[in-house]
Amino acid sequence: MNLNGDAKLEALAKRLGATAAERLDVAATARKVVERLREAPPRRTIWVQQTWMRIAAAVVIVIGGAAVATRLTPLHPAGGGAHGAHFIADDLSDLSADQLRDVLQGFDELVSGDSVVVPDSTDLRELDPQQLRTMLRSLEG
Amino acid sequence: MAHPQLRTETSSDAVLIRAWQAGDERAAADLVERHARPLARFLAGAGAPDADVDDLVQETFIRAFRSVDRFRGQCQFRTWLLTIGGNVLKDFGRRAARRKVVPLDESVRDVTGDPHDQAEASETEEMLVAGLKKLPRLQREVFLLRAQQGLEYEEIAAALATTPGAARVHYHHAVRRLKEIVK
Repeated sequence: MNLNGDAKLEALAKRLGATAAERLDVAATARKVVERLREAPPRRTIWVQQTWMRIAAAVVIVIGGAAVATRLTPLHPAGGGAHGAHFIADDLSDLSADQLRDVLQGFDELVSGDSVVVPDSTDLRELDPQQLRTMLRSLEG
Repeated sequence: MAHPQLRTETSSDAVLIRAWQAGDERAAADLVERHARPLARFLAGAGAPDADVDDLVQETFIRAFRSVDRFRGQCQFRTWLLTIGGNVLKDFGRRAARRKVVPLDESVRDVTGDPHDQAEASETEEMLVAGLKKLPRLQREVFLLRAQQGLEYEEIAAALATTPGAARVHYHHAVRRLKEIVK
């Protein structure tokens, strides 16, 4: 058959599948479709739940991404002191209970030790000899 | 089940869809009876094996009824149905490829009617079906919607979310390639 003419091609296309369509028992197909719909009605609730789950997942991804980006991007490159406590806190969170106890003990010693002077008054005349000695030692470096 | 609404033979698809959404099963059956044959022709033309056409028609209607809330009347119900049929056929093809189904030999297929006429008709049909299978899906569907179903480019474009101009281009590409393939 010569299919060079558009009209012939379209005429052939119109006949395409005609046999399959004629064989179809339309009434039986309709009955089966209705039965299947009755057995498994549209599960709208599940679809809605899935939609909300997708939205929630998207929100988590956005917030998580933003948190990671914030952590990785220095907000105040010049002000390193502002981040000191933050990084120390991060480091502490990685320590075990024993390690934390050691750090606290060291901190207690540091506070109660001679190396730190916390005078109650700025007036040197009110300091006792021990406090004066400690302060002088700290000034010596 | 809701009480069937008063309908006539010429109730529009929109009326039947609303009735089905209200729980009228008879409306769903009417829609199937109205559109099943054109859908079967479309599926067979797009390469569905004869033995599977009935199942594919059912599956298409099931999917359509379950997602009918998303049908906004952007095109005719039948056109929308045919595009769903295209998706169903694509999924069927994937499953068949995984199972590696071997199609029945032509000689053992069930054929009816005059053997000579059958042979001549099936030969030309098979040439065209073989050619259609080699086309990209969009070209194949545009060709079938236009040449087999007789739809306008505007209608095809609305169903396939493209422009009438693009649909026209797809159609002409399909015709050109089919002529080359079948020559």
